[in-house]
Amino acid sequence: MLNELIHQAALWLDNTAASTSMHESFYVYNWVETTHVLTLTLSLGLLLVIDLRMLGLAFTNLPATRLAQRLQTPMFLGFAVMFITGMALFYAIPVRSSQSLWLRIKLLLLLAALINALVFHRHLRNAGPDWNNAVKAPLSLRRGAWMSIGCWVGVVICGRLIAYDWFDCSKNPAPLISAFVGCINGQEQF
Amino acid sequence: MSLLTAYTRTLMTVAVIAITTVFALSDLRIASWEALEAVFAWSETTVFGYIGKTWGAAFAIVEALHLVGLAVLGGAVIIGDGRLLGLWFTDYSCAEIQRGAQRGFFWGLMLLLGTGLFMACGVAMKIYYMPVFWYKMLALGTGILFAYCIRKPLLTTQPDQLNAWTLRLTGTASLMIWFTVAAAGRWIGFSG
Repeated sequence: MLNELIHQAALWLDNTAASTSMHESFYVYNWVETTHVLTLTLSLGLLLVIDLRMLGLAFTNLPATRLAQRLQTPMFLGFAVMFITGMALFYAIPVRSSQSLWLRIKLLLLLAALINALVFHRHLRNAGPDWNNAVKAPLSLRRGAWMSIGCWVGVVICGRLIAYDWFDCSKNPAPLISAFVGCINGQEQF
Repeated sequence: MSLLTAYTRTLMTVAVIAITTVFALSDLRIASWEALEAVFAWSETTVFGYIGKTWGAAFAIVEALHLVGLAVLGGAVIIGDGRLLGLWFTDYSCAEIQRGAQRGFFWGLMLLLGTGLFMACGVAMKIYYMPVFWYKMLALGTGILFAYCIRKPLLTTQPDQLNAWTLRLTGTASLMIWFTVAAAGRWIGFSG
């Protein structure tokens, strides 16, 4: 039911003129994709710096919470650009993207990363100031940092794998995958 | 003689630029490119080349790790250059920020070079004929030289005595070089 709704919405997006124009424009599509990938350095790059600081592997000469606070704004700016360009990439190829195994796993990992970030911030608030200048953060924050690195490496890997068509509906994937990605019987192939 | 000692890095940089210009404008460039064809053809026959060509999933995962390397290096560069431009951490000296970023920059670069070598072996003959691949290598070489021969020594010796504009120009140049490396790398993917 949900998959059919997603499919109908994707078909509607696919029929809009802007989606077709973007998909068929070599430069627009590639520039949007390049911006999406290069913004990694701003969003994920700064996030990894914060995680590595918590683990005692980078910027150990700076107080951890101060580093995290100051990098938040540019990092969120990077995530905002990634989100907008990501939506644009989805809009350009909506049907195939909505049925991509890798995109669905990527979205689950993004959700896990978001929950982990919220838990991490709660621990950061509750941890107190005593450890701030220590090389390593308390265990709960280090766990959160490892989780964050794991989730985001997974997000990048899945994002890269979206380009590959191994599990596309047109390839008749195994029934379990087919159900997970929402292949519709008798649908037009994209 | 004292002039040579005081401006060793500047003279070395000028020498590198002069040698590169002569190389680029002479027949030596074409001769070197032709000579490298055998190396590229051989690299496709190595274990990396075999894995890269045979297992698409392995290639894709290494590509993703290449992007993670780019993110680590990019994060280190952005923080360091942001400080040089006076955008943040102005209550810390440039040298302190540089020291903190150094390890991230080094390991990001190592990850980029390692995964990049693997990927290059898998598609060696394809990239050999791509001008954008050579632009990327040129930008990468410039970036590494700039980071280790100009930016790092400049910031670790006496950064507080440097003119603010020297710091800003160094930061701007560094950002532009690494942006070129990343953008050229992305463009390789669109040129196949």
